[in-house]
Amino acid sequence: MKTVSFILLMFCLATSLAAQHHHEITDALNAGEISAEHSLYHLDAEWTDHRGETYALSDFSGEPVIVVMFYGNCTQVCPMLIQDTRRLYSMVDEANRPSVTVLAITFDTENDTPDVLRKYAEQEQLNIPGWHFMTSEAASVRSLAMMLGVQYSKKSDGHFAHSNLVTVFDSQGRVAKRVEGLNQPMAEAAREIRSIIKTGIRQ
Amino acid sequence: MTLQTNIAPVNLLALVVAAMALSLAATARAQPRQVLVPSGSFHSVMPEVEGEPIRVASFYLDVTAVTNEQYEVFTAKHEQWQRGEVPAVFASSDYLKHWAASGPDYEVIGKNRPVTHVSWFAANAYCQSVGGRLPTLNEWEYSAQLMDFDSQSSVSQFAARLMSWYSSVDTKNSAAVGSTGIENRLGVKDQFGLIMEWVQDFKPPVADDLSLDCGTVGRMQQWGNAYSYAASIRYITRMSYSPTTATATMGFRCAYNMEQEPETATIAQ
Repeated sequence: MKTVSFILLMFCLATSLAAQHHHEITDALNAGEISAEHSLYHLDAEWTDHRGETYALSDFSGEPVIVVMFYGNCTQVCPMLIQDTRRLYSMVDEANRPSVTVLAITFDTENDTPDVLRKYAEQEQLNIPGWHFMTSEAASVRSLAMMLGVQYSKKSDGHFAHSNLVTVFDSQGRVAKRVEGLNQPMAEAAREIRSIIKTGIRQ
Repeated sequence: MTLQTNIAPVNLLALVVAAMALSLAATARAQPRQVLVPSGSFHSVMPEVEGEPIRVASFYLDVTAVTNEQYEVFTAKHEQWQRGEVPAVFASSDYLKHWAASGPDYEVIGKNRPVTHVSWFAANAYCQSVGGRLPTLNEWEYSAQLMDFDSQSSVSQFAARLMSWYSSVDTKNSAAVGSTGIENRLGVKDQFGLIMEWVQDFKPPVADDLSLDCGTVGRMQQWGNAYSYAASIRYITRMSYSPTTATATMGFRCAYNMEQEPETATIAQ
């Protein structure tokens, strides 16, 4: 028993030590590790945005893409998450903004129809070029979440428990930056976007 | 116009004959492939829902796990899921490791044994291809606890069996699906005793503070009985996987929404 406790203690210690090396390994340590060498664009599902237009994710390749997952009936956390995403988008120079795509993807494939998403985009004053509030088949949304490392579960009351994550992808659909949690600093993510606009790839 | 009215009764007749043939075929079929799991609620071992039962809506569930043979039909139709074709983003290099490069060697791996070495992405794609989806964690657990026991001692015995199975899943000698003799009261077979199974949300959002470390098992154990201890091992093992994991211990079965009722389903009486 002592040995077990010791091993657990060491594990906890190792975890907390590793967490301090924020830049290098935070991403790898948090649940849902993703290798940045892997492209998002392998996912060949069809997505419909709030304008009723359909896309494959690979349609957005070649330029930086910001992805955030949310749902419309989430009135407390999700507006903050969407505003975090807007904050990141606004940190890109106005001249470069047309090169940036934002994909806000709903967990709630039952309720968030393209029409509901359009109203949501309008309400958030984000029905602007480059922004796509999107839905797809439930299994495709779940696949995307798995690729991002976003966890969500539908609760009995129809709401979703979910992780809060903003992810920046490079021109090849590889993860360039993950920002976990609400109200996080976005400067590093913005730098990544500028780098991707210049060179196509992450720093 | 007249031509159409002449043809209509013929079509109708053909339809009736077809329908009769179908219903005959349905009667002849001994084993349903799916059963309806009626809505209900259960108590999860997850600490944060203590005292509050989890409600689950009605759904259909495969009676058995997907077999090697069924999975081969899928890979034949969907080449992107053949061994060697799957990008690393969807499955580790262990994907279908037990199949020969040219395809499954049934002499070795058995047609009716559950397919393993499949990643979450592969399992998800398979279920999508048959008009279903992976069961949610709560659906799977709800079905798994719909077991009838005669007495508290038979619960304990079963739990002990479960614990010994979880501690040494024998992947080399896995048996055919439906062979464990373990089934729930609706006829869903082998949720224990054969393989571990992927579920849609195998890593629920609570997984961040519920990991293998720092006393999680201890917290789950407060329920006290061996059955929930076995369940906590199951939850924790599941959470430790990544969606690209393709191990010898993991297979899957599919679930279906009520409006997607599979043709091969029956409703348990």
